[in-house]
Amino acid sequence: MIPQYKYYRPKTLNELKNILGQLKDNIHILAGGTDIVPGFIQESKRFTSIQDLIDINSIPELKTIKEFDGKVSIGAAVTFSEVIKNEIIRKYFPLLVKAAQTVGSVQIRNRATIVGNFVNNAPCADSVPPLLVYDASIKIISPAGEHITPLSKFLLNPYETQLNKNECVTEILLPIPTNNYIGDFYKLGRRSAVSISRISLAFLLHKEENIIKEFRIASGAITPIGKRFYEIEKAFEGKEISSETFMEIASAVGEEVLKTTGLRWSTAYKLPVVQQMLYQLLERNAGGSSR
Amino acid sequence: MENSFNIIGKPVIRQDALEKVTGKAKFADDINEPGQLYGVMVRVPTVHAIIDEIDYSDLLQAKPDVIIVDSNDIIGTKKVGPIRQDQPIFSFDKIVTPGDVVAMLVGESEDELKSLAKKIKIKFTELPALTDPTKSLESNAPKIHPQYENNLIVHYPLRKGDVEKGFRESDFIHEESYTTQFVEHAYIEPEAVIAIPLEGNKGIKILGSIQNPFTCRKVVASVLNWPLTKVRIVQAELGGSFGGKDDTMNILSARAAVAALKIGKPVKIRYTREESILESYKRHPYILKYKVGCKKNGKIVAMKIDILADGGAYSSMSPFVTWRSVVQAAGPYEIENVWTDVRAVYTNNPYTGAMRGFGSPQPIFAQESIMDEIAAKLNLTPDEIRKINGFKPGSYTASGQKLENHDVNLLEVLDTAVKETNFTSKWKENKSKTNFNGYQLDKISETNAEQLILKKKDYINPNEQLRKGIGLAISYRGCSLGAEGIDAAAAYLSVQNDGSAYLLSGLAENGQGMKTTYTIITAEVLGISPNDVYYLETDTGLIPDSGPTVASRSTLMGGGAVKAASDIIRNRLEEFLRTEWKLKPQAQFLFKDGMVSLKGTDQLKISFKDLCLSAYKNGICLAAVGWYKSPEVNWDEHTGQGSAYFTYVYGCQVAEVTVEMGTGKVYVDKITAVHNPGKVINLLGAEGQVYGGVTQGAGYALWEQLTSAEGKIRELNFDQYLIPTAKDIKEIKPIFVEGKDIHGPWGAKSLGEPTLELTSAAIANAIKNAIGKRFYNLPINLEEVLLRRKLFPKDLKRGSS
Repeated sequence: MIPQYKYYRPKTLNELKNILGQLKDNIHILAGGTDIVPGFIQESKRFTSIQDLIDINSIPELKTIKEFDGKVSIGAAVTFSEVIKNEIIRKYFPLLVKAAQTVGSVQIRNRATIVGNFVNNAPCADSVPPLLVYDASIKIISPAGEHITPLSKFLLNPYETQLNKNECVTEILLPIPTNNYIGDFYKLGRRSAVSISRISLAFLLHKEENIIKEFRIASGAITPIGKRFYEIEKAFEGKEISSETFMEIASAVGEEVLKTTGLRWSTAYKLPVVQQMLYQLLERNAGGSSR
Repeated sequence: MENSFNIIGKPVIRQDALEKVTGKAKFADDINEPGQLYGVMVRVPTVHAIIDEIDYSDLLQAKPDVIIVDSNDIIGTKKVGPIRQDQPIFSFDKIVTPGDVVAMLVGESEDELKSLAKKIKIKFTELPALTDPTKSLESNAPKIHPQYENNLIVHYPLRKGDVEKGFRESDFIHEESYTTQFVEHAYIEPEAVIAIPLEGNKGIKILGSIQNPFTCRKVVASVLNWPLTKVRIVQAELGGSFGGKDDTMNILSARAAVAALKIGKPVKIRYTREESILESYKRHPYILKYKVGCKKNGKIVAMKIDILADGGAYSSMSPFVTWRSVVQAAGPYEIENVWTDVRAVYTNNPYTGAMRGFGSPQPIFAQESIMDEIAAKLNLTPDEIRKINGFKPGSYTASGQKLENHDVNLLEVLDTAVKETNFTSKWKENKSKTNFNGYQLDKISETNAEQLILKKKDYINPNEQLRKGIGLAISYRGCSLGAEGIDAAAAYLSVQNDGSAYLLSGLAENGQGMKTTYTIITAEVLGISPNDVYYLETDTGLIPDSGPTVASRSTLMGGGAVKAASDIIRNRLEEFLRTEWKLKPQAQFLFKDGMVSLKGTDQLKISFKDLCLSAYKNGICLAAVGWYKSPEVNWDEHTGQGSAYFTYVYGCQVAEVTVEMGTGKVYVDKITAVHNPGKVINLLGAEGQVYGGVTQGAGYALWEQLTSAEGKIRELNFDQYLIPTAKDIKEIKPIFVEGKDIHGPWGAKSLGEPTLELTSAAIANAIKNAIGKRFYNLPINLEEVLLRRKLFPKDLKRGSS
């Protein structure tokens, strides 16, 4: 059932700030609406309690992707389809493009926004692992001003972030990679389209000769929220690229996932598979099969 | 005749295609009547209970003028059902499954009614829930319907020869058990119906997404205690059915009719997807045990089959569905000794009924899996074992019926499929690569979680990640209803004096393209274009009861009736021409491209249009009702022997798959579907049947499963219940081997259901060929492939985990 709510459609960031300042409880930002509308229908309490809905699609700054000072900014109302088509993103952040292509269907990608994907913070949000390995930060505005925070800190628990009631995420900030990275995004869904992730992974690897100089890895769907594995990344920097190393990485991630999530109904399947597919992913992209 | 067809066998675009792809077609929920009200269902949050009291006082206090409709408003039959009348229109004594409805609130706003429904206080006494069909027949099992002695809905035995003697004479015996799951029809349009009371005591008109208008009429009339003539059922454009818009729609129509007559206004009921999946019936889950005795030379001499079908809370179509199973369970194989028992039982699960395939996909999955296993024991290829045992002309079926009077071309169909796909060499090549030792997760125990951390030996060589497999399955299928019941159909054709024609049949367009098929048949007989034939709206008031549109019978039976009606008109026109042109009685005519001429000469010629005008002016009746009745069949209930169906069709599907060893994901690369549908009427329609049926069959094999937690359904929408998308099935190749038959229009028979029934077995056999593992439990999803079991969340929460 669709609740009775007040609808706002600010045209500028200042207007948005003013509205955020005036309103109190149960306000919600509307970007693509692909979580909100099904949430109404499913009578999810997160959405049926909404009293004020602020539509940010008329704010031009939030519809843009731009490059500046070695960074790329993606506005909060930019859709997955726009990300997929954007030349700047395609050039610097191919994993994000790949992840965006696996989200839902064409119709969903035409509406859903990349910021909405992580603000909703479902464990299976496909954009999160690539954004994490690209060291994304986000800009948040409130009536009091604005601040920037790393995405990894922003995400707290499933469906829970640091975002306060009177705040709105306005953009994603992605530092343009300075090294040459090998990397990939992997998603396992039950189907080949319109599929919720059972497992998602993203990694970036910078090598010199045959040595791992820098390594970044993040998961989605297998951990309660998308997360980076910083300790594992550090532990394998300086190691030689080989099948053995990749197996060790995969098993180390497996142990970390087990430690984070414990035994769940899906563990018997997902835990071995995430290790296996991480290994396959590393082999496929970074070569090194020594067998 | 074969070479002289004008339209038959060519691809013709469906009459309703443009309207449907442009969104202009009017479905039941698009139809609105002035003053219409909506009906909203009231359910009880339990699986099995006795209803003690329904207290409306709080509701009436909140809204005194709310309209409540329940069992007390029903004058006629309170419980309905095709064989056993065990399903209430509104539940009044018991709740037997969570979809049950105790009352309906009627008003202007569905949202308001939904909140008001929460004010109804229903007192009930919970009873133990019976969700495991294997426990249904235990003496201490809770009785679902106390009026019956026990939970047995039906038991069909089949006894041929001496099965124990057959086993004694066998060189080896192979035994296996298989299970299949609940599946949902997943029609794109959820249920919708509107009941309109007619002025002047003329009765009631019901417009809806109704698969079987005549069955619906019978149910509504019995609930209202009215004569059939006062209930008119008109079919709206229907957004998919697959057997699923029968019982549910009949009951919804009855609820709408009772409400509309109570308040004297039109009442519409339209379901959300959640309500649709909650209340509608499903495909029967089966537990199948097969025991096969075989000679060293590959000849099967004995087969013993025990099948248990979960009928769910109501008997519905279980007696018919399981009857087809008992006829066909031994497969298209000539076996001297067969002993089959098929039982359907009650549980508190969602009730099960008709669904495309109708009791055949389950036994085919089992029987075609075990055939491959027997072949493997004998070191034969899958096609060799089938060639040894498969039906030939004159073979006797398990029910003792001699296969004759039609093309028994099973082996030709098989051979075509094998050659087309280069089956044998691919199968042997894949089989040689199946040795695989690492990563056998079904051998890991997870009591010790550390075992789930992979060791070096568990990691798969990237070159061995993807395995290819090929597998096949064959079937025979009895056409139409067989000994299930009366089998006849009508068609009405009225040719106008300008040469155009109205056509209507007593069967219904459920999305299968039947209207187009019928206009082609009339156009072929009269030598006109299908565009000159205008198909009327399906209305029970205008055409004789032709039985249900089920059992892949519309082309065979309804098509036969259309051809009969068309032949009547053509004969009258020919007779008229003989008089006009002063010809001898044996003179023959050619009806082609809108012209009619004397065969073998160019001298005597008239346009069809002018001929019709001339005949009309001479008082010739250009309207006719064609009737097509099936030949006699017979069946002995005690022995399961008899001529079950008057004709059969044969099919073979070959599945080519890739299995990802790391995840257990199965990719369907190609399905080659070779079918004998008799004569193909519309090539495009026939190919469409194959594409759709194969896709549904693949869904059954790999993804689809409806499950419950403590009797409550988990998958209430398509976020949880996964049907295949276009991206999940790569290539489907239909091939038609057109057998000759004396029945049906020009020998056209059945295709709709055979296309679905084979796919899961072919895929299961292909997976075995790829990775060397045999699977016994559908669907063969990710977890099944790696762990040999299914995993389910412990609660009903939606979203990922």
